Amino acid sequence: MATSVLLACGLNEQKLPGFVHISEESNVDGSFLISCILGQRLRISNAGTLLVCLQHHYQHYFNAGMRLGYNTNIFQGKTLNVIDVLSDMASEGLSCKWLKNPDGLTLTEQLVEDIRAQVESNYANRNSYTILIDNLSILFNLGASKLQVQQFCQDLASLAKERDNLTVITKLSNSDIYQPTDNNVAKLGQVRIQVVRLKSGVFREVDGKLLIERVLDEGSYACEEARKEVLYKVNDRNVKVFTPGEVGVKV
Amino acid sequence: MTSFRKRNVQKPIPGTRTSPHTAQIITSSGNPYLDVVIGGGLPVGSICLIEEDRFMTHAKVLAKYFLAEGVLSKQEIFLGSLDDIPAEMLRRLPRPLTEVEQREEQIASEQTGETGENGLRIAWRYNDLPLVSSEHATAKIGHHFNLMEQMDSRMLYYANTVIWDDSHKDNWIGDGELSKSSSPSISMDQQPMAEAMGEEDSTAVEPEANVEADADGDIKPLDNNATTAATDSTANNTATVTTNTKTGSQPAVWPQNVFHNTRYGGLLNDIQQQLRDESFITGTKKHLCRVCLTSLGSPLWYDDNFGEDLLKFLTLLMASVRNCNSVCLITMPMHLIAKYDASLVPKIRQLVDYAIELESFAGSERETHPAFKEYSGLLHLHKMSALNTLAVHMPETTDLAFKLRRKKFVIERFHLPPELQESPANPQSALAADDIMASPKCGSNVLINSNASASLDF
Repeated sequence: MATSVLLACGLNEQKLPGFVHISEESNVDGSFLISCILGQRLRISNAGTLLVCLQHHYQHYFNAGMRLGYNTNIFQGKTLNVIDVLSDMASEGLSCKWLKNPDGLTLTEQLVEDIRAQVESNYANRNSYTILIDNLSILFNLGASKLQVQQFCQDLASLAKERDNLTVITKLSNSDIYQPTDNNVAKLGQVRIQVVRLKSGVFREVDGKLLIERVLDEGSYACEEARKEVLYKVNDRNVKVFTPGEVGVKV
Repeated sequence: MTSFRKRNVQKPIPGTRTSPHTAQIITSSGNPYLDVVIGGGLPVGSICLIEEDRFMTHAKVLAKYFLAEGVLSKQEIFLGSLDDIPAEMLRRLPRPLTEVEQREEQIASEQTGETGENGLRIAWRYNDLPLVSSEHATAKIGHHFNLMEQMDSRMLYYANTVIWDDSHKDNWIGDGELSKSSSPSISMDQQPMAEAMGEEDSTAVEPEANVEADADGDIKPLDNNATTAATDSTANNTATVTTNTKTGSQPAVWPQNVFHNTRYGGLLNDIQQQLRDESFITGTKKHLCRVCLTSLGSPLWYDDNFGEDLLKFLTLLMASVRNCNSVCLITMPMHLIAKYDASLVPKIRQLVDYAIELESFAGSERETHPAFKEYSGLLHLHKMSALNTLAVHMPETTDLAFKLRRKKFVIERFHLPPELQESPANPQSALAADDIMASPKCGSNVLINSNASASLDF
């Protein structure tokens, strides 16, 4: 269903890089990538996953997962744990803990604490652990500063360095507006995936472009990087990728 | 004992159906043409942003369609606005067409389609094609409305409606205290029938304050001064009505430290109170709530932390709307917001599921342009996001235009006027074609990039 796109991004392996960052341009929807990665992680036996819902509710990932052929409800509470910030804010209203600063903790600090608590309780029982955060730009909307978001990502990156087989995957929308933050967060990791629109407009057979940058070897003086560019099309039940030049006008 | 089991089919929410393409529960936006563009209707839990035209004529019409559909489908309605008078807006909802009228209209439109405006037929084989291809729906939702006439007040009387106009701002109290004063919520349920009928009689024959019909049946906005004067007079007329409908209800709690501008807190608190009702809980499939906010982010909302508050409000609104059986339509003066802070526009669009811009020709050069004479404006689809599904519905074309006719708001595929002669006798029409081809707004207007010619993707 989504194997080809994960293969193109280099995220189809059991062991993932420590930190992966997904950048979305304005008006481009890259949440299909989160659904694809989530499905891949859930299929690996004894691999733990923590989903931090900031842009969509858990229900969205469940429905999208059903389209891709996996049922998140089966895994929830076992290998899948969810921090649903949006649902908390909807059910508790303006008195929700994410909107207040209990004990002087900011939103990002509270989130790091919750993530750490989840990792502490679940990491030991799992072969690998993945933290998916969708999406960082909501933190800006909820009042977090650029510095706080940067600190939040650095805390997560250090969490990934402290433990083997722990991967952090973040997504940032409107990366063209938060360009410096986006670059700084991407520098923390080994893989950066940029979801960009087609410059030439809209095409029925292609939704956009994925630019994948992967650090192969970070030496003392030079950094070896691999870059890849693929076109993608999100269908109802799968995601297809094309190499540039493959799609053309059919006569 | 047999293996036969009675199938428990859950009753659908009134006014909704399941989309055969995305398996989502969708409800009509009120305008059948807009429904076709967005794939049958608005998915439950979605937020649709209508970016207002300069004179706010057309966006308000779409908002009225949205509200009228809610009244007819027996759904609950929350209407909030600072710029408009919500009670007055509700009284001016369009009247639904009866089945006979719908059939007559269909026959009339078919006849018009056959002969064309000037008795011109371009090619017979295009006759059967619809203006915008419609989806084959298993169950029909949505109604047709007549914009020239107003909805019967008895229909409004039985509608569950809550309105918000910030008239309560002095009644907010500190955290933890209970209010003894009236709530911001104004329920139309408790409005006396006779009073509603009386008001309806006085306003039923009034034409729309800010529109006038021209000879062709199309409606065009009046000039600014006239509109303002008309609005002012309406405001004076309805002030007494609004105060009469106020009723006391639950206490309100001051939302501390969340918003700098207290209006956002008040409005959000009211919306959340409304949406927390048991009948809107997801999965129960009992009722649907329609939240309509008009002119959100207009200059009346401005303060020092305008952008920060607006984004926070929209994020929390998104959380609330997605968490229950509700659908939301917001109209925003995006051209003014862009002048305030251009970076707010993509941030706002990120927080909604559908972003539709209405670019009206009124007051612009295009109003008298021969290429655009058939239309009132262009409709730009800026964003359509996949909610509770993987892929988003894409309309057949994104080159769309709208026209506000006397009785209805029509969205059509945008096309150039037919070339009747081999060489353009009128140099103006040649210029028109050039202008359209050069216009960045024409063509593929979804996610269009200004430096499109800079490079190719394939």
